[in-house]
Amino acid sequence: MIRRAFLVVLGLIWLGPTYLLLVNASRPPDSYDSSRAWIPSPDMALFTNFAQAWESANLQESLASTALYSVVSPALGVLIGAMAGYTIVVLRLRYGFWWFMLLFGGTIFPSQMLLVPLFVGFSDAGLYDSRVGMILVYTAISVPLSAFVLRNFFTGVAFSIFEAARMDGASTFRIFWRVYLPLATSALAAVFILNFTFIWNDLLFGLTLTQTAEVRPVMTALAGLVTDVYAGTPVPVGLAAGLVVSLPTVVLFVATQRMFARGLALGGLS
Amino acid sequence: MTGRAAPLLGRFRAGYVAPSVLLVAGLLYAPFVWTAYLSLTRYDGLIPPEWVGFENFVKLLDDPALLTAIRNTLMWVAGTMLLPVGLGLLVAVLSYDIRGGAWFRVPFMLPYALSGAGLGLVWSPILSHDGIANKLLGVDTAFLQEAPHNTIAMLLVWTWQQLGVNTLLFAVGLQSIPKEPIEAARLDGASGWRLFRHVIWPLMAPLTAVVVGLALVASLKSFDIVWVMTQGGPGRNSETLAVTMYRDTFVASEYGYGSAVAVMLTVVTGLASYLYLRGRK
Repeated sequence: MIRRAFLVVLGLIWLGPTYLLLVNASRPPDSYDSSRAWIPSPDMALFTNFAQAWESANLQESLASTALYSVVSPALGVLIGAMAGYTIVVLRLRYGFWWFMLLFGGTIFPSQMLLVPLFVGFSDAGLYDSRVGMILVYTAISVPLSAFVLRNFFTGVAFSIFEAARMDGASTFRIFWRVYLPLATSALAAVFILNFTFIWNDLLFGLTLTQTAEVRPVMTALAGLVTDVYAGTPVPVGLAAGLVVSLPTVVLFVATQRMFARGLALGGLS
Repeated sequence: MTGRAAPLLGRFRAGYVAPSVLLVAGLLYAPFVWTAYLSLTRYDGLIPPEWVGFENFVKLLDDPALLTAIRNTLMWVAGTMLLPVGLGLLVAVLSYDIRGGAWFRVPFMLPYALSGAGLGLVWSPILSHDGIANKLLGVDTAFLQEAPHNTIAMLLVWTWQQLGVNTLLFAVGLQSIPKEPIEAARLDGASGWRLFRHVIWPLMAPLTAVVVGLALVASLKSFDIVWVMTQGGPGRNSETLAVTMYRDTFVASEYGYGSAVAVMLTVVTGLASYLYLRGRK
């Protein structure tokens, strides 16, 4: 009984800020008052608030950029990483283990060790503040995890499948594309979702490598909105923006929960 | 494999790993090495880097802002172990084996949907000076202005977000441990704290290692919440090492010095992980 009571009380404390977020994101901007923030407003203004954030903070451009980055980069990363895993495991690349270690080693670098050279190098190469540059960085970050999970996955696939396809005269690329990739759908999806979430939520690389509204990812734009809360953006408008921008990762997670768990189990992460 | 196919494969193999290796080497390894080199130079991004040896690191040891950052980072690490991890374990254990236990955990999962920037957005109006928390409690506390309680306030925000995922990981771990030893201990009369300490805790050790290890690395690199809520201020008093690195580099344009902070952060993270892994053996 004490256990339940403790959990319920703690749960209610946790719901408090969630409640405040929902109630105040739906409130007309001019009726916000921090001393009356607990009382729901009779007027539902969530969508007008979001529409206002959409225009005032250039959210549409940032959202378009982030959508592009967080779909294209993990997709490229997962394909490229899967190709490496396939070559190492199935095509038995010479010194494959060491190539794999090289790729997997990419996961251990703290972002802080990459920022200065990326900033300077991108400025020199004309990639600073460009969508191509952001896609390149995010793809590179997505590759190591993809290579890790897909290598583990392909290790569990019977080699006789490859030999049979070979006997039928299929090229190595065709076997990869038509046989191995379809087999790995759930592992590919799991890695895609993990990288999607990381890129969607990224603040640091956006802060360092972009400047203009059309290249800047959405979290960086959102962070700008916070520093402006006192300067201009009304609280309800900021909250509505935060809420809507968080939706895609939630929807993706809930929609693919099953596939996600299975993919990770097969990839040997769990 | 036929003799004819072998050379063909050999030719393609390198081509198939090339994109991964080029991306990872060019955009992760090369910058890493370059930052290590820059940490030994004076560099502002315009004039070519000038070799100064360990001067930046000597300067680091004397920098009051860096000492503050180290203190705050340690607070983040200790606070993370105590709250999101420790409380997460408590919630998981308390909600284990009671009917509908998973439902008790739902409120803790909701905040996980928010990003670091989103968290700052939600909590700034609550913790600001004329914000909701002060009005609700009828007090006038400078939650985000004075050290050290601005770091503590942000730690609570971090806890609000992270508790759910840690609870979930611990709950999954608890469900996967064998039931027989627990039943046996129950029959022998063990319950409550003793059952947990001597039976459940040792059984879930492998999972705890993963959760604590991930939390350790994440807390050493705390950046997003601090940057969005206080930008490390006021007067740099809530900076963490990751924020100091960003500020020294991109606000003060001291690329060499900022790189030295990055190297230090990396060494500290590596050392902490190493000691942690060794200590567990």
